[in-house]
Amino acid sequence: MRVHKLFRKTRFSFFALFGVIVLSVSFLSIRTVSRELEDEYVSNSRSIAKNIADSSVDILLNRNLATLQSLIDQFVEIESIRYIYITSDTGEFLAHTFVPGIPDEILASDPASTETVDRSLPGMGEFIEVGSPILSGVAGNVHVGMDEELLRVKIQRAVGQQMYLFGIILVIGTLLSFWFVSFSSRPLADLMSFAVKLAGDGKATGEEDVLGRDDEVGELARLFTHVADGSEQDDEGR
Amino acid sequence: MKHSKPGTFGGNPPPTAPPTITRRSLIGSGLAALVAAPWAESLGASQLLARPAAPYVRRGLPQEDELVLGVSAAFSGPSRGLGTELYRGSMAYFNQVNENGGVNGRRIVMKLLDDGYQPDPCVANTIELMQDERVFLLFNYVGTPTVTRALPVLKTFRDQQVFLFFPFTGAEPQREPPYDEFAFNLRASYRQETAGLVDNFVNIGRRRVAVFYQNDAYGRSGWAGVREALARHGQTIAGEATYTRGTQFSASMRGQVEILLDRSPDAVICIGAYQACGAFARDAVDLGLHIPVANVSFVGSENMLQLLQEGRSDPNSHTRWLVNSQVVPSYEDASLPAVQEYRELMAQYDPPPPNDVERITPNEPYETFPQSFVSLEGFVNAKLITEIIRRMGDDPQRSGIEEAVFNVRNYDLGVGDRVSFGTNRRQGLQRVYYSVVDGDRFVPLTDWEASFGMP
Repeated sequence: MRVHKLFRKTRFSFFALFGVIVLSVSFLSIRTVSRELEDEYVSNSRSIAKNIADSSVDILLNRNLATLQSLIDQFVEIESIRYIYITSDTGEFLAHTFVPGIPDEILASDPASTETVDRSLPGMGEFIEVGSPILSGVAGNVHVGMDEELLRVKIQRAVGQQMYLFGIILVIGTLLSFWFVSFSSRPLADLMSFAVKLAGDGKATGEEDVLGRDDEVGELARLFTHVADGSEQDDEGR
Repeated sequence: MKHSKPGTFGGNPPPTAPPTITRRSLIGSGLAALVAAPWAESLGASQLLARPAAPYVRRGLPQEDELVLGVSAAFSGPSRGLGTELYRGSMAYFNQVNENGGVNGRRIVMKLLDDGYQPDPCVANTIELMQDERVFLLFNYVGTPTVTRALPVLKTFRDQQVFLFFPFTGAEPQREPPYDEFAFNLRASYRQETAGLVDNFVNIGRRRVAVFYQNDAYGRSGWAGVREALARHGQTIAGEATYTRGTQFSASMRGQVEILLDRSPDAVICIGAYQACGAFARDAVDLGLHIPVANVSFVGSENMLQLLQEGRSDPNSHTRWLVNSQVVPSYEDASLPAVQEYRELMAQYDPPPPNDVERITPNEPYETFPQSFVSLEGFVNAKLITEIIRRMGDDPQRSGIEEAVFNVRNYDLGVGDRVSFGTNRRQGLQRVYYSVVDGDRFVPLTDWEASFGMP
């Protein structure tokens, strides 16, 4: 029993080591995933805004606003994009996807600005808005709003998947370490039992398994037997 | 030589024993499922959800004694009344033509596909009609968002010389480069309709005009028309509110009405379909927006009127402020030969809604109208396309279509105005009519000031 107590520290050390590795890798991984997903999200949206801006030039010059609306309607079908609006060089809203109307926050904003901004629109949610100028802004600007909540959900899902994987690794690693410690401590427990028996009976029968081992535990058991035999002879000589 | 049984390749495969389920395999698959659970969606579980098949109805190729006109239109969904009535009007005329031996010995038949007034099915239908059904031409398409997306298909297959005739939309994309060369229009444009409405409103002192529109290419086309017309009077759009395509009459338009109430307009021009525009007209009256509410021809006047009057103790409680522009004359005006003929043939044939079309949304009830502006438009569309085909002689070829259309000069269709086409004139009629509700129908509006003058 005392041997098991000795290996408790080993078990705990294994568990602690696994835990530290899993937690540090998780932390690093979550940070990387979050940052890269957000960067990719914004980058894709900028590409979409630029794509619309490039496609809009001829349409705007032809004053074909129905085709312009048709163009942005196709892009807004992309899952992460919640709204698109196109403003003219004078700031007039030429096409948009808002229902039932253009939010006051957007009406009040600077339509010429294409900086990436965070927007909170009442009744709609929170968004990251990116912009792209059309013909360097002389023909207008395209603005694309991405659902920040959807980005959060995606990050949470990716992080959740990683946590799930790390959790499984931690559990399997801990179980394996328990098994390994138990496996390693069994010969010592046998040796312990043998020593207790030797101390009680004073001699071994010679049939104990531990005596047949060819490792250090076996040598130690044989040494115990030898010591016990020597002690018995001393007693008889005396 | 050993032959396999019909329907099989190389004979029947040997029967396979059912897989043995062991504890180890169960544990293994359970563990695998546990580990893979969070990735199940991305690993393809979603592929198990089969997508609905495209709404195609395949028939045989055209027979020698018939000319097939391909139609993709709304035969289901909230705008099914438009596709159905347009079809009925055309069928009334084609029935008579076919019963009298057809055109130069050929029967005119329509190959119908339902797009539910949605762009993607319309694109798929157009490809199907051109590639698989090998229709002679495309006819009676319904709607701007649908037609706008189908036009690039026509351009892609331009070598086949398939033209789109008389779509039920007044939008600009098929009237302007780069797609104008693939379509022929009969009706006046939304630009003309909205300009007429704006001019008349401004003339009676209603200068602050707001727009309620469907948030797509159709709505934007009408919005642009209003904007242009107001600019000519030195005005801008007083306010705007939108709705999503496919909105039903049961939906609330309170939000949209409140947006416009804040802008205090003198009149509202609606660019939408009958269900949503009917809902807006209803909520506008209920919320105290007592100003003229105008609709363009696409709305489907009779369908909207039916929704607004159905089940009300006072049927006209929500129709007092309605004024609808039309692109065909009143079907009450029997002094016009085409209208007289239309009334007779509609009474004679009373074409039912099409039953040989596979609908995207099946089993939706629909009650037909004895006469309507939409079916009258379908009727004159059919009348003119029949005349064009007749002019192509005994062996009509797609390559001869443009020439036949351009030969239509000062043709009397029987609607009052004469029809002309040319290389730079791809729209046959230019006139816009205005109508108001009188009892259970729309009648011509004769005096704007008396009906809608400022108090």
